[in-house]
Amino acid sequence: MSSHGNTYSYESDSNSDIEDSRHLNQASPALNHQKDSPRPLIDSVRNAWQTRSNPSYDLLSSGTRADTEKHPHSVQMALTVVSAPRFRRYVVVYLSLFLLCLATWKWILYPRLQERNTLLRALDPATAEESGGWFGSSSPPALDGLILMKNLNPELIPDALGESDGQTKSRKRLVIVGDVHGCKDALLALLDQVEFSAKEGDHLIFTGDIINKGPDSSGVVDLAREKSASCVRGNHEDRILLLRHEMERTKALDGPQKGDKQIYSSKQLRERELARSLSKKQVEWLEQCPVILNIGRIPTMGQVVVVHGGLVPGLELEEQDPASVMTMRTIDVDTHLPSPESNGLSWAKMFDKHQSILFKSLQTAKEDPLSRTITAVYGHDAKTGLKIRTYTKGLDSGCVKGGKLTALVIEDGGKQSLVQVRCRDYTSG
Amino acid sequence: MHNFIPSLLGAFGVFTTTLAQVSTPPGASTALDRIANANKPTFADVRESVAKQYEEEGPLPTEKYFHESRFHHHYDDRFANSTLPEEQVIPHLIALVQAYLKTMRAIGAETWIMHGTLLAWWWNQKIFPWDNDLDVQVTEPTIHFLADYHNFTDHHFEIPGVDGGRTYLLEINPNHVVKTTEDWLNVIDGRWIDKSSGLFIDITAVRPDVAKRASGHPEALMCKDKHRYKESDIFPLRNSYFEGVPVRIPYNYAGVLREEYGSRSLTNTEFWG
Repeated sequence: MSSHGNTYSYESDSNSDIEDSRHLNQASPALNHQKDSPRPLIDSVRNAWQTRSNPSYDLLSSGTRADTEKHPHSVQMALTVVSAPRFRRYVVVYLSLFLLCLATWKWILYPRLQERNTLLRALDPATAEESGGWFGSSSPPALDGLILMKNLNPELIPDALGESDGQTKSRKRLVIVGDVHGCKDALLALLDQVEFSAKEGDHLIFTGDIINKGPDSSGVVDLAREKSASCVRGNHEDRILLLRHEMERTKALDGPQKGDKQIYSSKQLRERELARSLSKKQVEWLEQCPVILNIGRIPTMGQVVVVHGGLVPGLELEEQDPASVMTMRTIDVDTHLPSPESNGLSWAKMFDKHQSILFKSLQTAKEDPLSRTITAVYGHDAKTGLKIRTYTKGLDSGCVKGGKLTALVIEDGGKQSLVQVRCRDYTSG
Repeated sequence: MHNFIPSLLGAFGVFTTTLAQVSTPPGASTALDRIANANKPTFADVRESVAKQYEEEGPLPTEKYFHESRFHHHYDDRFANSTLPEEQVIPHLIALVQAYLKTMRAIGAETWIMHGTLLAWWWNQKIFPWDNDLDVQVTEPTIHFLADYHNFTDHHFEIPGVDGGRTYLLEINPNHVVKTTEDWLNVIDGRWIDKSSGLFIDITAVRPDVAKRASGHPEALMCKDKHRYKESDIFPLRNSYFEGVPVRIPYNYAGVLREEYGSRSLTNTEFWG
C-alpha cells in the first residue's frame, strides 16, 4: 500500500475523494503521469467530504464525538485495547486454553479422583461397619451339581526362568482364551496363531462361555476335550447344563414337544435346542469344569486364578458365591454385593486396587509380596472388552459379535503376551 | 374335553392316598416310598399337559377361599384354636417344610422357595429363628397338576421325637384357575397345612404375564400377589439344600433377593435386628 502512496498527488483531474480508491487499483497507469504534472501534494486536497452531504460520513463523525464525550479516558483506552486484533487473538487463545483445562478436569482428572476416592472408600473397613457388613458375611450358599473350585495340575505351570533353560529344554506355556461362544473357526485360527502344541508343553485354558450364541458349540467342546483343555464354568455353561438336567427330568430330550413354540421365547427355544444337541460325553466334560480354576503360583506373577465373571475382593476363594462368580460385572461400593449389571463400579477395578494396596503393604514385610496377591483372569464382559490390569485380565473381546478372540499367553518366567484373531459377526444373518 | 380324564385320575389319586392313609407307616422314609409306590400320579406321568397355555376360567370370585384365622394369621383355625408355645414354632416349621419338599419331590411337582424363605436360605440354608411363615412357589402347570391329582390329600410323616408323627394336608384354592391379579381375595393358590398345629406354607403359582408378554416382554411372569419376575431369573432352577433336604432355588437368587429386599439384606448381619 505504501508503495502507491505518492500516486495520490497526481490525481488532479479527479474531483471526488471516493475516486482515490479506484485509482489504487489502477496504480500503474497513474504512474505514467508522474513527470507531466509536478505540483505540490497539498493542491490536490479537496475537502469535498465536508461540503457534500454524505450521510455515512455524518453518522460516523457525530457518533465518534458522542462516544468521546460519554466515556472517560480509561474506558476509551480499554475499548481500544479490546478492539485491537492482537487482544482478540489472545482472548481466543486463552479462552480455548481455559476450556481445555476445564474439559481435562471434568472428563479426566475429576472422574479419576472420584474413582480413586470411591475405590478407597469401597475398600475402607469403616465402610463395612457403616453399611452393616460386606458381602460374604453369610456362609456362601452351597449349590448342588457344580464344582466350586479345582487346582490346576502343577506340572502344567510355567517355570521360573533359568530352571528351564538348562539341559532339559522344557518349554511351558499357558494359553488362556476368552469367551469363544461356539466360534470354532476363530478358536482354530487363534491356536494356529500361537502355534499351540500340547506336546511341547502348552496348556489351553478357557475363561468360560465356550458354548451358546455362536455357530458350533459342540465342535468347540470337542476341540477342548481333544486338546485336554481346562475350562471354568461360565454363565452359559451353567444355564445350559441346568436346562439339560431339567429336560432329562421331564423327558424332553428326544425332540421339541408340541406346544413348545407357544410357551417358550425364541431365545429359550435356542437354548433348549443346544441343551438337547450336546452328547453325554460333552455334558460330562462341561460338568467337570469348576466355577473357579486355581492355577497356582506363576513366577513373577504370584497366584493366578481363572473365573468367568469375577471375584469379590477380600473374600477367600472358598467363600465366593458361585452364581456371582459366574455373572458379576460390577460391585456395590458400600456392601460389596456383586451384580451382573454393567453400570457401576467395575469389580475388576476394585479387585486390582485391593491387590495393589495389599502388594504395597506387603513390600515392607520380609516375605515375598507376590506370595499373597491374586491375579484374576476372566471373561464375560464383552461390553468393556479387552481390559488388562496388573491383577485383573479381562479377555472377552466380543468374538461372537464380530470382535476379536483373545488369548493371554503366559510363558516360563511369567512373561505375558496377548494374541488376537479377528472374528466375523456370527450373530448377524 | 381335556378336563374329563384328569378329573377321573384326580379322583383316583385322592382315593388311593386316602386308602394308604389308613395304615400308618412306621417311618418317614417308608412313608415316602409308599407315596411313590401307591400309584400316585407323578408329574412326569401326566406330562402331556405341560406344554399348554392355561386359559382364564370362571368369573371373578367374590369370596376368599383361605380365611385368615381368628387368632393368628399364620395359623389355619380349622386345625387349631391357639398358637404354639414359642419354642415349638421353629421345630414345627422345620418338619413342615421338610415334609413339603420331600413330598413335592416324590410326586415330581416342581417347586422352589421364595421371599423370606429364600433370604433365610441365603444366610444359613435354614429357617430364621424368628420366622413364622414360609413361602414357596410353583409353576402354573404344577398348580393345575396338584389341583387335578393331589388336592385334599393327606401326607403322613413319622418325625423323630414326635409321637404318632404328623399329618399334612395339601389344599389347592379352586380359584387357581382365575389368573388375574384383580382376584385379590385369592392371591394364595394353595396351602400345605400341619394338621396338628394349624401352621402352614403358602403356595403361590407363577404364571405367564400375558399382558406384559404382548407388549414385548417375552419372559414376563407374574403371581396373583402382584410379584413379577423374568423367566430367566427363576429358570432353570438350581439345586441346593434347605433344612437338610434338597430344595430348588431360583436361577438368579441374588438378583431376585436384591430386587425384593435391597442389597443390604444380603450383606448386613444386623438387617433384621
